Amino acid sequence: MGIALAVAPVVLVTLLIGVRGVAAMRTTSDFLVASRRISPLVNSAAVSGEYLSAASFLGVAGLVVKDGIGALWYPVGFTAGYIAMLVLVAAPMRRSGALTVPDFAEARLNSPALRRLAAVVVLVIGTIYVVPQFRTAGLVLTAVGGTPYWVGVVLAGAAVSVTLALGGMRAATYVQAFQFVLKLLLFLIPAIWLVLQAGAVNRTDALNPVEFTHFARETKVRFEVDVTMEIREPTPVRRNGVVETLPPGEFTAHSQDEVVFGTGAAVPAVRGGAALGGPDWRRPLLDLGDQGYPLLGTWAVLIATMLGTMGLPHVLMRFHTSPDGRAARRTAAITVALLGVFYLFPGVYGVLGRVLVPGLYLSGATDTVVVALPYQVDSGWAGGLFTALLTAGAFAAFLATSLGLLLVMSGAIAHDLVPGGLRRLRIAVFGVAGIMVLLALRSAELDAGVLVTWGFTVAASTFCPLLVLGIWWPRLTATGGIAGVLTGLVASSGSILFALAGPPLRGWVAILVQQPAPWSVPLAFGVMALVSLRGRPPAWSTAAMLRLHLDEPRSTGARDRSSTVRRLARLLNR
Amino acid sequence: MSKIRRVAVTSPQTRLAHARRRSRGRWRQPRLAAGDTQRATALYAAQRRRGIPALVLMFTLLLGLPGVFALFPALDTVRLLGIPLSWLMLAVLPYPAMALLARWQLRRAERLEDE
Repeated sequence: MGIALAVAPVVLVTLLIGVRGVAAMRTTSDFLVASRRISPLVNSAAVSGEYLSAASFLGVAGLVVKDGIGALWYPVGFTAGYIAMLVLVAAPMRRSGALTVPDFAEARLNSPALRRLAAVVVLVIGTIYVVPQFRTAGLVLTAVGGTPYWVGVVLAGAAVSVTLALGGMRAATYVQAFQFVLKLLLFLIPAIWLVLQAGAVNRTDALNPVEFTHFARETKVRFEVDVTMEIREPTPVRRNGVVETLPPGEFTAHSQDEVVFGTGAAVPAVRGGAALGGPDWRRPLLDLGDQGYPLLGTWAVLIATMLGTMGLPHVLMRFHTSPDGRAARRTAAITVALLGVFYLFPGVYGVLGRVLVPGLYLSGATDTVVVALPYQVDSGWAGGLFTALLTAGAFAAFLATSLGLLLVMSGAIAHDLVPGGLRRLRIAVFGVAGIMVLLALRSAELDAGVLVTWGFTVAASTFCPLLVLGIWWPRLTATGGIAGVLTGLVASSGSILFALAGPPLRGWVAILVQQPAPWSVPLAFGVMALVSLRGRPPAWSTAAMLRLHLDEPRSTGARDRSSTVRRLARLLNR
Repeated sequence: MSKIRRVAVTSPQTRLAHARRRSRGRWRQPRLAAGDTQRATALYAAQRRRGIPALVLMFTLLLGLPGVFALFPALDTVRLLGIPLSWLMLAVLPYPAMALLARWQLRRAERLEDE
């Protein structure tokens, strides 16, 4: 019941703002980019709101529990991406006057083939990115309210598609800006409460990790997916109410199993993660899959997230809602600061989670650590209240990110692949949302760490080289663009699929297969440049590139904005 | 906010066209006026000159920090306010640094266009 109270307001307000936005909707341009009238401050809040997905709100803290302090490199990369965006992409992209990434490809290189390929890449990145959002919505509602997995997934899908079909980007911009503020408060206030409420002993334990070898108290672990563990010594447990002793060796807990470990029982080892609280866990480096190459693992994740941000189609599209290139650049700069505030907090949840809910480490449901924490600290009404607040925030996170992604994906279909009017765009929204829900229903068991960076890696290997070379290198040709994007797409996706489905690998090879960005990005850049150099760019190529760097005549500004936003903007412009 | 109801001021034909098909204009060859070409060329070169140091700085700082952690494991045992120094350097330090870097680069890029 409490959960309904938490989620309902978020969904309702999202819908309400969505419906408010319908008022002035006339053309596809209105629907997609809010007729380009959003101020930098509102727009950067919207960018941050859209960007802070389930991965940021829940995933990072979960990865800290699973992989150790080094997981805090993910948010550093997520933020750094906006500096790269500020330097390389923001202003020229806005000045290109294109609506979407595929539009940009056509405006700069005049190639319908590249436009369609870019639209396909948008669909691929969108799918990889939106499915985990819906998946986490399902997992969180299961963890908090005990509802079946599909309820959360379907609920998220329905709320998102109705808002979008009614309101489009105009609605989405205000929804996103509102949701950034909402998410920041719903993340920050519970974090402070948790730290104060956890007590001196837990706070000291959180800062002085010791390897988790024996259960300090009776611990119940509920498994949502099958997990194979390594039992180190005969361990007495109560499995589904039956007392038994697990012999040393491999032990598989099945989905829906409930295993109770007694006080003092030895903790089984889980494959793939760093031993909880052990020496590797404490190091501020990311040793992916415990392969023994922490530096390489950290760099691979950083490169994927930094360069991938630049190529995320839903984020790029946000820059088109700025009035001019200058405002787009400002948007990117303010976003770095806004994200920096939010990302100070996932670590707090992570280190407290290791102390208070170590059972999640065994069940593999580390993604739910944030919403599981309040009850460990206070089992009364306060714990319930903060669980509800955090669930609301997490739901806001799924909604915000999925809104932008679904918009971009339906745009790619109804705008680039099979051009049509507003009505077709609205139908496309429902179609895409339906497919995403179906995919999410079957992906409950995928690894969160892979899902978080997969979309970034594909974006970094496709759109990042296309945009950077398109904006800064006059000799880029359409053939080069197509070859590079195809190479990047196949290399990055193929490599990650191989890591998921192929035989297990060891050592640095395993890291480079799981996180292919360090080689797939240079490969895509290289192929794009080499193929371009072998061809001859058309005569207008230099003009097409220079046009992106020409600043617009300074507008008289603010006349289109509402008075509140104008006052705020004046305040911020010193 | 005015209370006047807003009406679409488009020709009925435009609305029809929008309802039927998206009016995607034919691709036109990009042209720049002579003065614009000069200004754009200058801006392009100047922005590239100022952008590269900012990027190099960012990559050095962020890819360098893991190197520092790998080279100096002692940072894990030094504590500030009870928190391991290396944790603080990862969880807190990068964000203000990146915000300052973004601000610095934004000012530099905007100043070029103000001239």
